[in-house]
Amino acid sequence: MKDKLFRDILPRVSKPARYSGGEYNMIKKDWNLCRTRMVLAFPDVYEVGMSHLGSRILYGLVNEKSEHLLERTFAPWPDMESLMRAENIPLYSLESFRPLMDFEVIGFSLQYELSISNVLNMLSLGQVPLWAKERREEHPLVIAGGPVAFNPEPMAEFFDLFIIGDGEEVLLELLDMVEQTRGMKRSERLFRMAAIEGVYVPSLYQVTYNESGSVEQRISLHPQAPERIRKRVVKDLDRAYFPNQPLVPHLGIIHDRAVLEVMRGCQRGCRFCQAGIVYRPVRERSPGLLKEQARMQLHSTGYDEISLASLSTLDYSSVLSLVKDLVAENQAKGVGVALPSLRVDAFSVDIANEVQKVRKTTLTLAPEAGSQRLRDIINKNVSEEQLYEAVESAFRSGWLSVKLYFMYGLPTETEEDLLAIPDILQKVQAIGNRCSRRPVEIRASLACFVPKAHTPFQWQGQDSIEMLDEKRRLISQKRRKNIKISFHDSRVSFLEGVIARGDRRLAPVIQRAWEKGCKFDGWSEYFSFERWMDAFAEMDVAPESYTAGRSYWDKLPWDFIDIGVSKEFLYEENERAMMGELSWDCRETGCNECGICPALGVALDIKGEESCV
Amino acid sequence: MRLRACYRLGPDLRFLSNLDTMHLLERALRRADLPYALSQGFNPHIRLSMGTVLPVGLWSEEEYFDLELAGEIPIPEFIQRLNSVLPPGLYIRQAVQIGTDTPALMHSVNAAAYTLVLDETDFPAAEFFASLLVEQHLVVKSRGKKKDLDKDLRSGIYKIDIEEHRPGWTATLWVAAGEPLNVRYDELLDLLEARGLARNRIKDVYRQGNYIYQAPAFASPIEKVK
Repeated sequence: MKDKLFRDILPRVSKPARYSGGEYNMIKKDWNLCRTRMVLAFPDVYEVGMSHLGSRILYGLVNEKSEHLLERTFAPWPDMESLMRAENIPLYSLESFRPLMDFEVIGFSLQYELSISNVLNMLSLGQVPLWAKERREEHPLVIAGGPVAFNPEPMAEFFDLFIIGDGEEVLLELLDMVEQTRGMKRSERLFRMAAIEGVYVPSLYQVTYNESGSVEQRISLHPQAPERIRKRVVKDLDRAYFPNQPLVPHLGIIHDRAVLEVMRGCQRGCRFCQAGIVYRPVRERSPGLLKEQARMQLHSTGYDEISLASLSTLDYSSVLSLVKDLVAENQAKGVGVALPSLRVDAFSVDIANEVQKVRKTTLTLAPEAGSQRLRDIINKNVSEEQLYEAVESAFRSGWLSVKLYFMYGLPTETEEDLLAIPDILQKVQAIGNRCSRRPVEIRASLACFVPKAHTPFQWQGQDSIEMLDEKRRLISQKRRKNIKISFHDSRVSFLEGVIARGDRRLAPVIQRAWEKGCKFDGWSEYFSFERWMDAFAEMDVAPESYTAGRSYWDKLPWDFIDIGVSKEFLYEENERAMMGELSWDCRETGCNECGICPALGVALDIKGEESCV
Repeated sequence: MRLRACYRLGPDLRFLSNLDTMHLLERALRRADLPYALSQGFNPHIRLSMGTVLPVGLWSEEEYFDLELAGEIPIPEFIQRLNSVLPPGLYIRQAVQIGTDTPALMHSVNAAAYTLVLDETDFPAAEFFASLLVEQHLVVKSRGKKKDLDKDLRSGIYKIDIEEHRPGWTATLWVAAGEPLNVRYDELLDLLEARGLARNRIKDVYRQGNYIYQAPAFASPIEKVK
């Protein structure tokens, strides 16, 4: 297959290096000497998938720490896809150039709701039946994990099983089980795998729905199938595997740098944020270990930048000293440090200045909402004064470009809240022009609020496309010179919202949309709203029923996924939001009783020497 | 210290762009912890300059780069340390120290050789290529900057070497590169196709090397500075 690809196929596609493998630090194991063989399938293009930290972790974990094998495959870009279909080339792995059907397990990483159309497309390219019930003994197990799996229901029937929570805790256990159950009937194998904590086997359950759309009943079809699926958690990040020799792609990818994971979880408690709930509790990695990992990773990759990744890196307890040490150690070699996102305060800007010693980038801040009233509702604990202090400090220290993230379509939002956004932008620009010698560039990115499962806002309604477009016009009227505002596509957000809080009745719609040619739905050049709406109409499913508000009494499709945080806590947070009451970070003010620590037998794990809040 | 290195970029790396290869070399220099020199300014970068661009899809026996080092290092040690961290298929063949006044590769390389591999034994290779060189004009549609305009390659085709193999043969075409006439390998393939040698019959194409041509001699960029 490799010869044919290199000679006849790849010379005819754009960016052929996406499909040729052979990257530095690639691990190619002996196919015949491995206990089980799995392919990690990322349902987006190579440059996106290769930037994903979780995949890097799993790739290294399986290949370095076990006798199993894990190879990679990505969604081919449409030009490559049509050649593959025309020349009858099945989707293959980049290490061994073997078709997906040769593997025992195909594992999809679900990072984004709309990547499900690519999942179906990849299965079809791999000549694997799309529905779990259609797969027989000879077919690979098709599994998935990642944040989207916290509400697996809309795509449940496409997968044999899901891994819920921190994948590195479960995957080796699961692969051992795949080996142990080899030769058994598929249903028996799946049943045994369901006994592993954190594994969800959808075919062991039947779900019925009320006329209103809520869940009527979830029935276990097997007496021993667990009623609730509890997520798996890495308790101590210092003892968890982390790759010191990650793959170095040949072509430029989205995040083309070394990455340290300084902590997992975030306890700021923003009420719209799913990651902030489902990845609780906060677990830090020790600064000493991080510096050691930085040394090893830079040595093995030769990258010229190292990024400190987490949901809220500026909340890492030793962030200042860590950044200073990393800059000091690497500056002379021309190696810089990158921070993925900043908090909105002057302290953040100080750190950004540390980083800027090597490389100058755009300062990015996320106030999320325009008015104080609305920021209190979403629990984004930032005042306008803090924002202005932060940008003033930034402009005074030489930054010339600031990017601000906002959301619109938030619960209880009024015209006043919306108009506060352009007001803030103008004030930021005025500060910039006062404090900087050159004209400053202000950019704002406005995302549509999408209520997500397992958040305090999971019961909230989502604004219709028409409402969002009306709000967009309102904000746009106040546009000013040298301020660029970009809006997310409200139709994409609508569809995200449908799937984010969807249930099993969406599966036929998803399949129909894929049949109609939907793929790369996260890419504006391929997203087709019309095809999706046709699919809903043909399958007689009303998408608006999924974006509507839910009642507290409803059984929600994802309630059986036990994330450790209690539903009561989410309910109380939603109530507090409606009263405009703030909730504080439990590291500072004591326990908020979200339930995570007693439920999972874990504790906050703060490893740094200093507090910087 | 400034040096010039010659490297091989093997068939598996043929889909790398020139920028990809440059990044690959920069990362390898950092992995090897070699004493590379950095440029000044906000965005310090390694003072590495690549030779002529190798088109995506081609591999090459001999490509070149110039590099500035901040310290002294014996050439064999440089080669050994860099080769130990390069991916399979890419290695440094040789390197020499060059003076600070040596003209940049980009401005001195003016010729390249491309080798075509064909495994058909009954193709009259010698006659086919000889017939090219008797023509006054060999016109193709340009694939370069002046896209689709007529371009006469004849004066840029200096010589063609044919070698018999069992089975098949190779033809190496020595052509002009850079200014004033740049003969691209895809234009050569277009020309051969128009004269009856279809692309899909060619098993492999690679660049043999880059040269500094002063009629009648082709010197490699390293021979030239030795």
